[in-house]
Amino acid sequence: MNPEHIEKIVQRHRGEQGALFAILEDIQNHCHYLPEDALRKVSQLTGESLVDIFGVATFYKAFSLKPRGNHHVSVCLGTACHVRSAPGLVDEFTQQLGITPGETTGDGEFTLETVNCLGACALGPIVLVDGRYFSNVKRPDVKKIISRAGAGFRESTAERAGSSFPLEVVCPHCRSALLDTQNLIEDHPAISLMASSKGTSGWVRLSSLFGSRCHESEHAFADDTQLSYSCPTCGRILTTATPCIECGFPVGSLAFSGGGSLHICSLWGCRSHRISLNGLGSPGVAHEEIVTRV
Amino acid sequence: MCRLNSIENFTALQERLIAESHPDTPTIVIPAGTCGQASGALNLVLTAQHEILSRGLQNRIRLRVTGCHGFCEMEPSVLVEPKGTFYPKVDPAGMRRIIDALLRNDVVQDLLMADGSSGRNYENLGDLPFFRYQNRLLLSQNEKIDPLEITDYVKLGGYAAFVRLLEHNAPGEIIDELKQSGLRGRGGAGFSTGMKWDFLAREKNGKGKYLVCNADEGDPGAYMDRSILEGNPHSIIEGMLIGALATGADKGILYVRTEYPLAIKHLGTALTQARKFGLLGTNILNTGISFDISLIKGAGAFVCGEETALMRSIEGRMGEPRQRPPFPVQKGISSLPTLINNVETWANIPVIFRIGAREYASTGTGDTGTKIFSLVGKIKHTGLVEVPMGTPVRELIYTIGGGPSGKVGIKAVQTGGPSGGCIPAELFDIPISYEGLSRVGSIMGSGGMIVMDENTCMIDVARYFMKFLMDESCGACYVCRKGTQRMFELLDDIAAGKGSLEHLDLLEELSLTLKDASMCGLGQTAPNPVLSTLRYFRNEYLEHIEHKRCPAGVCKELISFSINELCTGCMACVKACPEGAITGEKKQRHSIDQDLCTRCGACRSVCRFDAVDVQ
Repeated sequence: MNPEHIEKIVQRHRGEQGALFAILEDIQNHCHYLPEDALRKVSQLTGESLVDIFGVATFYKAFSLKPRGNHHVSVCLGTACHVRSAPGLVDEFTQQLGITPGETTGDGEFTLETVNCLGACALGPIVLVDGRYFSNVKRPDVKKIISRAGAGFRESTAERAGSSFPLEVVCPHCRSALLDTQNLIEDHPAISLMASSKGTSGWVRLSSLFGSRCHESEHAFADDTQLSYSCPTCGRILTTATPCIECGFPVGSLAFSGGGSLHICSLWGCRSHRISLNGLGSPGVAHEEIVTRV
Repeated sequence: MCRLNSIENFTALQERLIAESHPDTPTIVIPAGTCGQASGALNLVLTAQHEILSRGLQNRIRLRVTGCHGFCEMEPSVLVEPKGTFYPKVDPAGMRRIIDALLRNDVVQDLLMADGSSGRNYENLGDLPFFRYQNRLLLSQNEKIDPLEITDYVKLGGYAAFVRLLEHNAPGEIIDELKQSGLRGRGGAGFSTGMKWDFLAREKNGKGKYLVCNADEGDPGAYMDRSILEGNPHSIIEGMLIGALATGADKGILYVRTEYPLAIKHLGTALTQARKFGLLGTNILNTGISFDISLIKGAGAFVCGEETALMRSIEGRMGEPRQRPPFPVQKGISSLPTLINNVETWANIPVIFRIGAREYASTGTGDTGTKIFSLVGKIKHTGLVEVPMGTPVRELIYTIGGGPSGKVGIKAVQTGGPSGGCIPAELFDIPISYEGLSRVGSIMGSGGMIVMDENTCMIDVARYFMKFLMDESCGACYVCRKGTQRMFELLDDIAAGKGSLEHLDLLEELSLTLKDASMCGLGQTAPNPVLSTLRYFRNEYLEHIEHKRCPAGVCKELISFSINELCTGCMACVKACPEGAITGEKKQRHSIDQDLCTRCGACRSVCRFDAVDVQ
């Protein structure tokens, strides 16, 4: 991990309560473990003694000083899972992968771990693989889980077609269509917006297929750029005060012509998006309108 | 700007939101907490979104994605408002049928939950025995709230209690009312919350005070806090705001375990929204009062649920407990006075001030209010149940939980996690209260209730908890570090058939030592699971020791598997056996080679004909 990146991370958390945790977490998210040179750098930058940092890194289970595999298997050993035969699942994973909990396969593909409780006790035994929860897992399921994880949980084309559909959005202010029929992304008209950041302004086009992250833009924005979206027709700002659930940056809010709204994160690299059909209209915009009216 | 600039502004917004809410509009409610998502709730959300958008139904049907409703075993489930129709285990095709029916103002009969005995269908959520006998003071809010929308919470009357107290600004009265409510800490120890607040309010050093929400729900088998954090995050924020008003604290901390990623996301979103609204941060609603909350993630250490370890962890250090006194209220985070309450305690605060202390105190016998339990293990209906204090254990297990899940009877229920104990079936008539549970050798704890049946071995359970505590002991005290290890080894011996009667004496002796000589609660309560199983299930220990038999058929070294005459020769176990120990032809009774068998139980778990016996 390059020293500038570590500096950036340390800088980001400076002055926060319990900053060391957040710093170590960010490093681990980046490297999948805590490399020694990174810890030395953190010590240098924060003034914390290396002993204390090493203490924290070894005290807490979430941190690892050993490189972890590409796929991360956690078998829950909470009490409810235990009484429903979770230890047998650990045995089965151990047998199938040839490693015991805490170890990583020789090819660096899988890390096997156990966890005290994932809090989905009614559905035990639970296995968490790369952020996906598997419930009521039985021994014979283990093989299938491993092979699906190894394939990166890629869904078949049919499955993907069933879970994605084109969205027809309009500007919440002037109600003009935001779909660009001249420019297609993934065979569908793209959602076309204006985006600006620090004086640079230009068009961005996003796939209108829900769940897709395909996009193109006039300027090459870096992933950590926060954009201000606006409507290409009326020019009004679409970015609202509502935070993105993934990264906390404000979201841009677009409307469906029949009601409801689509939120897209304003952080260029995040690209998280979500549909809201709860009758509030476009929440960000609606809140603002309500507040302005009162 | 969204910021509300005065109390009048807030009240006007709330009135407006309520006036514009149209509660009669048909609404599809999908619980998508962690367990919902684990069972496929997001596919239902996607299907519903697709149907509504592609058919242009936005003005006829609303969709609300919420946190857990409690009946996790039946997820992914769908609730349809305003009628309250409950559909269990829905698939995407079922979701489309529900939408079609809803447009006709109809109900899909064959997707409803059937009553096994009468053959009729339960239409309404409130009719289900699982829900009918509960008193869901806290949990029922989860159905009404999209946790990502602060307006849903405000619409339900949220933040109104805080704003009313803010207007009057009489800290003494708040604490008096809290004392009247009789609320006791829901994290396990059951200390009076009003007293605790009073202690903090009396601390005056002029340098600031901390309020902490302990969301390091570490007890394995307990997840009620997760459901509140994910499903109703603003209730915690409002609780802490009221706490700040009453005690004069200016800094708040939400310490959430890292194993709850969805809770962390929802809390982060809720905090940002509350700040944008001007309900949190500096100069709240322009009243001059400031209080902000930071979100801190744990990193996977059970001992951090202990308050002094928690404070060290918040300071970014190793989570080792320290001696008390000084108590956190005197000397806490960064040496400042600190008050720590558990998630469920904080969530009770807004309710108390919304309905009034007297009304709140009228619920429950013995203790006041309700308590949420996670009813899991070998029980028919698993999930989160909320009942008034004083409800008998039996009612929870048989009336609400529907009794045993399998063919064998329920033997005991374990409460209080690794610090708690087992309550045997013959004591199920005791009422659930702090004192009631401790009289029988268990504790209220945070609310885990793990049901065990005749196929659960109590030595295995005791060994499980001791292994857990051995791994989680921070190692600062010798007696805890070494004592849990020795106790585990003794239990392991007994489970392996190598135990003697002296083992039991040693276990009891070590139990006393750990209780007396450990510094924090982890070590002091570590012997409880052993002591309570010894007290009520000594016979099982003796069976293991004297007859080298595990009556429940769990301890690997003491059991053997065989195939009986019910075998149809389906080959399922032959394929499942990882050791190739089972032989047999199709349609002929199979047999197990005892020398190759590792007693993993794979054969038994795949057999559909009850043909694998365990001795």
